[in-house]
Amino acid sequence: MQTSPHANILDDLRTVLGDRARDGDFELGLYGKDGSVLQGQASIVCLPVATAEVRQIVEICRKHDRPFLARGSGTGLAGGAVPVGDPVIIATAKMNQIIEVDLENRIAWVEPGVLNLDLTKELTPRGFHFAPDPSSQQVCSIGGNVANNSGGPHCLAYGVTSAHVAAIEVVLPDGSVTVLGDLSAEPPGYDLRGLFVGSEGTMGVATKVAVRLTPNPPAIRTLLLDFPDVRDGAATVSAIIAAGLIPAALEMMDKRAIEIVEAFVNAGYPTEADAVLLVELDGLPGGVEHGVEVVRSVAERHQVGNIRIAADNEERELLWKGRKNAFGAVARIKPDYYLHDTVVPRGKLVEVLDKVYKIADAYDLIAVNVFHAGDGNLHPILAYDSGEKGVLERVHAAGRAIITASIEAGGVLSGEHGIGLEKRDYMGMLFSAHDMATQDMVREAFDPQGFANPLKVLPSGSRCSDSFGQHVPDGAWV
Amino acid sequence: MKKVEINLGIPHDDLVSCVSCGLCLPHCPTYRVTQEESASPRGRIALMKHAESTGFIDEEFVEFMDACIQCRGCETACPAGVEFGSMMETTREALATQTSYQPWWRRLGYGILGRPTVLAFVSRVLALLQWIKVVPKKLGLPRIPVIQRPLVASGTDVWLFTGCIMDAWMRDTHRAVQRVVEATGAGVQFPNKAAACCGALHVHAGLGEDARLLAERTMTAFPGDAPILVDSAGCGAQLKEYGHLLGTELAEKFSTRVFDVHEWLAERLDELPEIQEASGRVAVQDPCHLRHVQKSHHAVYQVLGRYVEPVGLDDEGLCCGAGGAYSAFHQETASQVRDRKIESIRRAGAPEVASANPGCLLHLRAAGVEVRHPLEIIDSIMTKGG
Repeated sequence: MQTSPHANILDDLRTVLGDRARDGDFELGLYGKDGSVLQGQASIVCLPVATAEVRQIVEICRKHDRPFLARGSGTGLAGGAVPVGDPVIIATAKMNQIIEVDLENRIAWVEPGVLNLDLTKELTPRGFHFAPDPSSQQVCSIGGNVANNSGGPHCLAYGVTSAHVAAIEVVLPDGSVTVLGDLSAEPPGYDLRGLFVGSEGTMGVATKVAVRLTPNPPAIRTLLLDFPDVRDGAATVSAIIAAGLIPAALEMMDKRAIEIVEAFVNAGYPTEADAVLLVELDGLPGGVEHGVEVVRSVAERHQVGNIRIAADNEERELLWKGRKNAFGAVARIKPDYYLHDTVVPRGKLVEVLDKVYKIADAYDLIAVNVFHAGDGNLHPILAYDSGEKGVLERVHAAGRAIITASIEAGGVLSGEHGIGLEKRDYMGMLFSAHDMATQDMVREAFDPQGFANPLKVLPSGSRCSDSFGQHVPDGAWV
Repeated sequence: MKKVEINLGIPHDDLVSCVSCGLCLPHCPTYRVTQEESASPRGRIALMKHAESTGFIDEEFVEFMDACIQCRGCETACPAGVEFGSMMETTREALATQTSYQPWWRRLGYGILGRPTVLAFVSRVLALLQWIKVVPKKLGLPRIPVIQRPLVASGTDVWLFTGCIMDAWMRDTHRAVQRVVEATGAGVQFPNKAAACCGALHVHAGLGEDARLLAERTMTAFPGDAPILVDSAGCGAQLKEYGHLLGTELAEKFSTRVFDVHEWLAERLDELPEIQEASGRVAVQDPCHLRHVQKSHHAVYQVLGRYVEPVGLDDEGLCCGAGGAYSAFHQETASQVRDRKIESIRRAGAPEVASANPGCLLHLRAAGVEVRHPLEIIDSIMTKGG
């Protein structure tokens, strides 16, 4: 007789999924982690291919009083998909069909496992794209984008995921299937769709998403500006926006970021510069050319070195490839990194960046900065070697100091990576107990028993229904 | 599942070089068709870490490792420059030496590749069986010639590497390549039987010792300093890695003499005869070992571009599923991977397809794709023109 504590639930799951319900030791290890440094423990992994299967999995979980966790491509950076409290993992990667593209209404219905860039590639020849473009665009899934309300360089002008999702079919924690939002321009009633986007899997599992399609701009200009001093670069960012211009994207990289990125892409990034700005302008040709002149004159007032304009699409793509691969490329300096995601008012960029470097120095760590400067979304990366004794304590302490500095400057905890597990216990730095209790009530309205992605987003104690295990994974800083 | 003790022997620094960002996933052919972590480069490295830290593996682990095509598309995609290929080779070698990973019948098959007389005999038998139509079509074998005419040297300027399967089954491709190389004015010579097989498939299978013996033997067949041209992307990649494989100065020097034939021709485009006008569009399938390992796939476009309009595929060099012996041992996955490739070829909208690797040629032809070696296409244009 099988004596595993999971035997019963596994049997039930196998009647629905066959060999797509897994419990092999080696395979489980792979679903205990996402793109962050946090490590959890998976005990059952389900690989459904249809909404009906997801619904049945949730029902089986309820029957066995087990929580569940939806996982997309597993590239999240806040531990949102790291299993704690022994949830059944529902990996939606196999649900990867583009169901319908309706150009007339500029809507596409897609399954949650469709990769963000695959969707855009499918749409591009027809003159459209999906606007949110996280750096992990080539691999992150639409379901993950919905869960985290993901941003990306081009969200400065186009808005983050929530602005591009019209409706979502979800399996609610009680096992029912419903559609939140609809395709009309002004849907009546509460915007439950808006509530679900960014809820990090704590309100159910998205099984189909109606995304809005954005027309490809008729003209694009991509500029690379280099600065001898990172402060001038940061000041240029604020000045461009103050000049009345909202570029499609406005990204910044510091010296270390430039060096590692150039080593990967060989795009001619100026490795001698202290910082670069990657600025993209799009729209009608006349407007774009005007924008180029505005950027040029603002930058010249801020000691810009060279201004390079991508000559063709190939050069443009190469520059973006560098920017979008920057995080992974950090491994060229140190084998591990801790990537932060705070937002500060644009006017405070210079001040907070200064503090980040000082904090990193104080804790003897290497800071790499590559971020969405246009909306003040900082991504300080602390590079380290986990093999070094005691380094993790320093990384966590430095991280806390960076978050504190950002909040003191009037910023917030997370720009786009979500709260997940990583920032859960920092919520109290930003929200009062009353605020968190209110948020908890919203969550409870969807999931009274705390079945969906337990122990995430809200600190334990802010809800009375956190009844599942309190195991805190290795590497978590709580 | 039964646990077995193992020591993979992968250098610690290599193992920790992956930060598990996941950017490799969409560039991995097996992840693309399964969407499962265990079939991704990130997943496989995590599995290797798990095996190294616990010192144990089970059948599940072996299956996951065996499912990798070793296309190395992940290396091109990796922003951190993780050397996945060598980690997988080390893992396979540990499995082959410490477990029953490679059964006798697979070892026998690999063994034949390095024995030209046996290979010729087996090929002759296969050819006769094909002639009396008792070889099932689904095996995807090409039409094997019953009678083989020898290759004839025309000078000593360059060597043309002939290999195992390619020489036994596709010698006409070598002849076409020889004519194109000769069109530049160069004389071509061929190695003796010591260069029976480059050993690439052995490395991929974890049979490192066999591969090293084949490498030592192969090197003796190319005396002098003349460049060694290779018309098989897989063999070329392997010959270029002899320095790394054997770690000797002699092997290092040997590897510097090796060129993919298109690389060599791309330096001599002006010496190739001119034709009246470029004819037709040709879709170019980049073999993984040319694009991701040798990184010299652009040369194929340069050379083809003199005679036709080469059209790249839109799949960023995703593998076709051939993977040397992979398509024989993992038919289902290999054909799913190939389906994606065929879709991409269809989107390119060209009447003909070129591929510079025998494995890809055979695998694609088995699915009915009209595909030839790039130099066979050029040879037929030059022959027609002249």
